[in-house]
Amino acid sequence: MRYYARKLGFYLVALWAALTLNFFIPRMMPGNPVDTLMAKLQQRGGATDPSVRRSYELLLGTDTGEPLVVQYLSYLANMFRGDLGVSVSVFPAEVATVIGDALPWTIVLVGLATALSFLLGVGLGALVGWKRGSWLDSLIPATTVLAAVPYFWLALILVAIFATGLSWFPLNGGYDVILTPGWDGEFIASAVYHGILPALTIVISSVGGWLLGMRNMMVSTVSEDYILTAQAKGLRDRRIMTRYAARNAVLPSVAGFAISLGFVVSGSVITEQVFSYPGIGSRLLQAVENNDYALMQGIFLVITVAVLGANLVVDLLYGLIDPRTRAGN
Amino acid sequence: MTNIDPPAEAAEAAPDTPAGTIGASPASRRSGAGGWRSLVPRWSPKLGIGLSLVGAIALFGILGPVLTGDPDTIRDISMTPPGGEFWLGTTQTGQDVLALLAHSTRGSLQIGLLVGVLATLLSAVFGVIGGYVGGAVDEGFSLFSNVMLVIPGLPLVIVIAGFVPVEQRGWWTIAVVLAITGWAASARVLRAQTLSLRNRDYVAAAKVAGEKPWRIVSVEILPNLLPLMASQFVFAVILAILSEAGLSFLGLGASGSDTLGTMLYYAQNGFALQREAWWWFGPPGLVIALFGCGLSLINFSIDEIINPKLRTVPAAARRTRGRTGGAEREGRSAAARSVPGRGEPGRRESGRDAVLTVENLNVVYRGEKPVHAVKDVSLTLGRGEILGLAGESGCGKTTLAYAINRLHRPPAEVTSGSVVFHDRDGSDLDLLALGREDLRAFRWSKLSMVFQGAMNALNPVISVRAQLEDVLTTHRPEMSARARRERCAEVLRLVGVDPRRLDSFPHELSGGMRQRVMIAMALLLDPQVMIMDEPTTALDVVVQRGILREILRFREELGFAVVFITHDLPLLLELSDRIAVMREGEVVEYATADEIHRAPRHPYTRRLLDSFPSLTGERGAFIRTGESSARERPGSGSGAGTGTKTIVKEAGSR
Repeated sequence: MRYYARKLGFYLVALWAALTLNFFIPRMMPGNPVDTLMAKLQQRGGATDPSVRRSYELLLGTDTGEPLVVQYLSYLANMFRGDLGVSVSVFPAEVATVIGDALPWTIVLVGLATALSFLLGVGLGALVGWKRGSWLDSLIPATTVLAAVPYFWLALILVAIFATGLSWFPLNGGYDVILTPGWDGEFIASAVYHGILPALTIVISSVGGWLLGMRNMMVSTVSEDYILTAQAKGLRDRRIMTRYAARNAVLPSVAGFAISLGFVVSGSVITEQVFSYPGIGSRLLQAVENNDYALMQGIFLVITVAVLGANLVVDLLYGLIDPRTRAGN
Repeated sequence: MTNIDPPAEAAEAAPDTPAGTIGASPASRRSGAGGWRSLVPRWSPKLGIGLSLVGAIALFGILGPVLTGDPDTIRDISMTPPGGEFWLGTTQTGQDVLALLAHSTRGSLQIGLLVGVLATLLSAVFGVIGGYVGGAVDEGFSLFSNVMLVIPGLPLVIVIAGFVPVEQRGWWTIAVVLAITGWAASARVLRAQTLSLRNRDYVAAAKVAGEKPWRIVSVEILPNLLPLMASQFVFAVILAILSEAGLSFLGLGASGSDTLGTMLYYAQNGFALQREAWWWFGPPGLVIALFGCGLSLINFSIDEIINPKLRTVPAAARRTRGRTGGAEREGRSAAARSVPGRGEPGRRESGRDAVLTVENLNVVYRGEKPVHAVKDVSLTLGRGEILGLAGESGCGKTTLAYAINRLHRPPAEVTSGSVVFHDRDGSDLDLLALGREDLRAFRWSKLSMVFQGAMNALNPVISVRAQLEDVLTTHRPEMSARARRERCAEVLRLVGVDPRRLDSFPHELSGGMRQRVMIAMALLLDPQVMIMDEPTTALDVVVQRGILREILRFREELGFAVVFITHDLPLLLELSDRIAVMREGEVVEYATADEIHRAPRHPYTRRLLDSFPSLTGERGAFIRTGESSARERPGSGSGAGTGTKTIVKEAGSR
């Protein structure tokens, strides 16, 4: 119980830190983003009454004469109400709505690709570590090349080969534009079809990291006493590899999930941009290009919350797969 | 941006995992004259390729811009393919791709190096100081780095870059931002390592000696952290180059900078791929990938310093061969060896049927200096007999026991001899010739083992029930789930452990209970032989007595034979029927317990007996440490590799 309480506490602190960071970044930056934003808003025919201005001032922090503490508290209150302001690039949509539309795309794409890459990497890593000294070892240098390839470069090469060259897959987008989004078979099939290349990019460039980490742990685990016991027990090799070696070796990979997830999310932001995928990464870059600070900050927050949430889930799962954490600390 | 996990991350998470020792391994040696050698990577093809890749690219980045022309020269030869004057072709505006590439490589390397240094410094400050000082500072630092770790870096960098106007985005700004978002993971690794170093004896000694904290950190701790920091630095460089490339590709990089990312940005905006100008788009990505690959390969070698377990590939290769096709080959050659006097001479010694006959067994640890760990050992184990195997640590008794069941691990190899198991039903099994599957089926059902130190012998993450039941599911597939459950409960009751403990995990049991569970496990299949390797050494005397009494009782009731391995000869005198005394791989005396007690023939046996306190209260010499044999034969190294390393000073007995 204590384990879970500690974890929950940690993520609350992390969330607070992210919110605070979000509050201070624009305040530390040169220039007055509120003026830029209001000018843009006016261009698009948006309301520029004082309440809108006030909302942006809280979000972006400008010289409003109010003490920082008051601004900070109002900002936090706004955040908890889910009030992220109005987007200027997709005017007059609320930032929250814009994000709400884009988020499912990213969660499904990045979520599935990460899960796939984790399973593939850990599975292969276990095998390579177990059969150490065999031809499988030659996989290792190959994966380091893949792991060092920039996501966007790989994405563009894949596009050039499979979309432009062979026309097997669509060039970009998240679905066929002639369809209306909805839960019908045709639309889902189209979404899956469009998702294959982006997902492939994420899997190819992230699988190496999992593979290597798992392989190294596997090599360490194989020399443990309980592996010897399992062999003396006359268990079959496959069982020793899975229930004794891999079961123990996978723990650090799970514990280190947080680090890797951050990388994958970062990579997929750029991947989305390459594929013009209707997810949150492309939106973030659009927001940057259009000086849509409110949207930019909203997306940063949402990405952070999503990553924190995923890590929390993995941490809770870790408690299940390692009985020792449950015993308390 | 990238997904390269620092492999050291595994080591970092290790302290709370079963393989917790690996994190503690790198600098178990004190930094000193000899210590430094262990910090230099061993030469390997990987290291060679890595160094050449990194060296070549670095050289290209340094010298390339000098040798190639001005990359910004615009010509009216748009998109010429490689060849002729332009080795790598030209861009849309007729710029020389090779010149561009050279300048961009230099830019990327600069930023990578700068960020690598900054991030490593930051992580050292937070990780090492936090880990060393401990207490509230550590809590605070560690919370801070963990928070920084879970906040996704690139989105944060994008937001920051988005707020800074283009004209103010110098490459220093970008480098600082990348360093700030990239140090946390490595701080965590360094902290874990510092924590483990802080508790080493030599650090404690320095503290007691009153050395100043900054001195302890810089003299005792930092040198031992060097391999880890080097590995973290390498990762920081890769990460920085990749992140910068990503940022520049998005148009958010430093203004006016020439990096591989900006080159790709222009290539993308000039529709290089759509116009099939692969020579413009391909090389920058390849340079990044190859540089990253080179650094990763170098990191493999650094990781081998950090975690020596990753190193012994040749040995492991041999094992794999032994496990697969080699088993048959090994089996055949063993079968070809005649089994001298099979059955007869051994079978009727001491008036009992033999259940196990070992003849002229030799085990050698292969290596640069082969160690002959077991020399020409012949033993016979009668049915229901307790055979004691005594000797100091490293005398080869454990190697012998493992070789009987072919559990010895690779550098060890059985070079000659035979091990024959005489089954209850009258058939003989040549254990060294058994095929892979037959050997597996033989293990535990005919011969089970109880290992030393049951903590590590049990799998920490699955329940006691699962570890007992998988023996039954493997060897007795016909058993029903219900029968399995009952059998498991039955053996636990037999060793005096409450069957409710079946649902416990090993860490929830006391040391004595774990050892009892181990014995219960060994009883599961009603084996004919049980090999016990120091089964009670780690336990206190009362628990030890209880367990020994039970072993004797089971032997009476269940009729299996025991090979009991210990350094405690007086214990064996009480327990066993016959005793073999081993020394440096040889059996120097082999007689009944009674004979050894009354009239030990070999001087070594006498010394072993003398070395334990006698009932009259006089204390003997402390032979267990192995010091006396080293003293007697000056210059003789350790017996079987692990030998006499635990030289404890004679316990003040003289």
